[in-house]
Amino acid sequence: MAILINEDIRVIIQGITGKQGTYHALRMKEYNVNVVGGVSPGKGGQTVHGVKVYDTVAAVKKEHQVDASMIMVPPAGVLGAVVEAIENNISLIVIITEFVPVHDCLVIRSMARKAGVRVIGPNTIGVISPGKSKVGIMPGYIYSEGGVGIISRSGTLTHEISSNLTYKGIGQSTCVCIGGDPVKGTDFLDVLELFRDDDQTETVVMIGEIGGAGEELAARYVIENGYPKKIVAFIAGQTAPAGKKMGHAGAIVSEGFGTAESKIKSLGEAGITVVRTLDELLEAVR
Amino acid sequence: MKLYEYEGKQIFNQAGIPIPRGTAVYTLQDASKAAQETGYPVVVKSQVMRGGRGKAGGIKFATDEQELLQSVKELQSLELSGERVEIILIEEKLDIAREFYMGITLDPRKSLPLLMVSAQGGMDIEQVAREYPHQLFKMHLDPLAPPRLNNMLDLLLKTGLQGSQLVQAAKVLYNLVRCYFKYDAITAEINPLVIDASGNVVAADSKLEIDDSALYRVKAVQDFNRKSEISDPIEAEAKSLGISYVGLGKGNIGLIAGGAGLGMASMDMIWAHGGSPANFLDLGGDATMEKTANALRVVLKTPGVEGVFINLFGGINNCEQMAKGISLVIDELQPTQTIVVKMRGHSQDEGWAILESINVPTVKFGTTEEAVILLLEQMINKGVTDDGYTN
Repeated sequence: MAILINEDIRVIIQGITGKQGTYHALRMKEYNVNVVGGVSPGKGGQTVHGVKVYDTVAAVKKEHQVDASMIMVPPAGVLGAVVEAIENNISLIVIITEFVPVHDCLVIRSMARKAGVRVIGPNTIGVISPGKSKVGIMPGYIYSEGGVGIISRSGTLTHEISSNLTYKGIGQSTCVCIGGDPVKGTDFLDVLELFRDDDQTETVVMIGEIGGAGEELAARYVIENGYPKKIVAFIAGQTAPAGKKMGHAGAIVSEGFGTAESKIKSLGEAGITVVRTLDELLEAVR
Repeated sequence: MKLYEYEGKQIFNQAGIPIPRGTAVYTLQDASKAAQETGYPVVVKSQVMRGGRGKAGGIKFATDEQELLQSVKELQSLELSGERVEIILIEEKLDIAREFYMGITLDPRKSLPLLMVSAQGGMDIEQVAREYPHQLFKMHLDPLAPPRLNNMLDLLLKTGLQGSQLVQAAKVLYNLVRCYFKYDAITAEINPLVIDASGNVVAADSKLEIDDSALYRVKAVQDFNRKSEISDPIEAEAKSLGISYVGLGKGNIGLIAGGAGLGMASMDMIWAHGGSPANFLDLGGDATMEKTANALRVVLKTPGVEGVFINLFGGINNCEQMAKGISLVIDELQPTQTIVVKMRGHSQDEGWAILESINVPTVKFGTTEEAVILLLEQMINKGVTDDGYTN
């Protein structure tokens, strides 16, 4: 079945006329994603790779049913774009944009939870259910359909691990990149909950990194609720120096909080298989 | 962006939070003038970003000009956690009756701002949390509905404050919360909040960090001078080129990664196989040919680098453009260092063809670990040992 998205999903791209929006509209169409429209104020009536552009989300909705929106607008415009999507009852919003102000993320997360809307990101490559559809910017051909569910804070590690699995003949059910920022719409434990009941997903891979508390909270969730499937976890940044921001806004060990050791320990206590290297991960999943 | 104490106090002052009278100075002459205007006795406070300043001798008192000049000289020769003291804040000495703590920071467990107050002020908040957990009172803030003054009064009542001081402190707290939201703060803290002998409530210190992603809209801090923040010249150069670079000391393997997670995992793998990374570098999401070239130039410039591992994905980026950037620099600098590239994703065939045409070892379908092993083998073949010395 996969989670979050399936082959029928109808997607819009907010920010479709930008360089990135245009490029990825084409890539999504190549992956047979049902892109029903794009949004770009002032550009209504144009087309981008055969996709009709509208001025507002409401304008798209007059002509189409929409299940998901991919947000590719610049950081300062993200909050407005997400509010527009929420007001128009779009149930899945994927924010690709990096460097969204933390306070905007706080507002987005609170609004989405109140409205019962699923927000993924920001600072994510998105979500893919290989062979079915994607709402994201990942190259589809390094992913393949199968039984491994992936949850990751890092975009490129999602690519890395999925492609490694693909080359070994192991497919994926859904790969969810929750994003590298400290405040996210969706956390590890939210996705663990979705994979729990998904019949296609046999094994779950969690790709964490230093900083934050998402991995520890996921471990506590597993201890409190049990988990019917095998979980394999990897934590990036085991050798990162303390007090330095490692690329992602959320990847920083400060005052001893968010260390790789603390995460590895918590995950281990929850009975999760924690691997030390990416090659060990392939062995553990096999 | 972290603010110096005196900068944070300027912001507090504009927000209606009472602060001590004082002036920030760079020179002995200005210090002397500032102290005369303020009136002795004065506090002489080194302005540094790192905490623990008091214990490290970064705060002094002066009752006359002679003591003042002595204190300023001592502070100016001081280095606190590797940070040279350049700016000194001369302030009136408060007659302290009691010290409180109030601060707002992000609670990673709830992904919500957390407001904390305590009657145990003057020590760092981690110590308060450890030693006086029952005296630390907390309240999560709703980003959609900032709290009202009565919420502040309720929280502060728990600390035992009453009467005029309760109301003054509640106003300070209310304004601190306003600052937190208005200035896109990551952390906003007053420690200590002083109640002086006359019963006035004053913010004796400030700790304010602004979200780097929001600096474009926080006008109040845009004029604050920040040239000395990054001490490593290569790190500073990388930052000016929009590249996230962290120097790691004495390693001999330079690293360029597309994405922070892949970068950290690559760094971990280099260590795991007995190598020693010289840097962490995340190329980020807009890796054009020029940016990739700049990253490679910066890494090749890093002292001690004898091998370079380039680990990239064409997700939001494009392999062909990144390969062109690598090719450009190899052509331009003819580097003697061993370079191994692992690359896949959008336009991978075009990217691989470019790299192969200039004979750069390229890992196409292998894992990061396999690529690291390949680089280390090639370096050994070239005669570079683990210590980074050439045989």
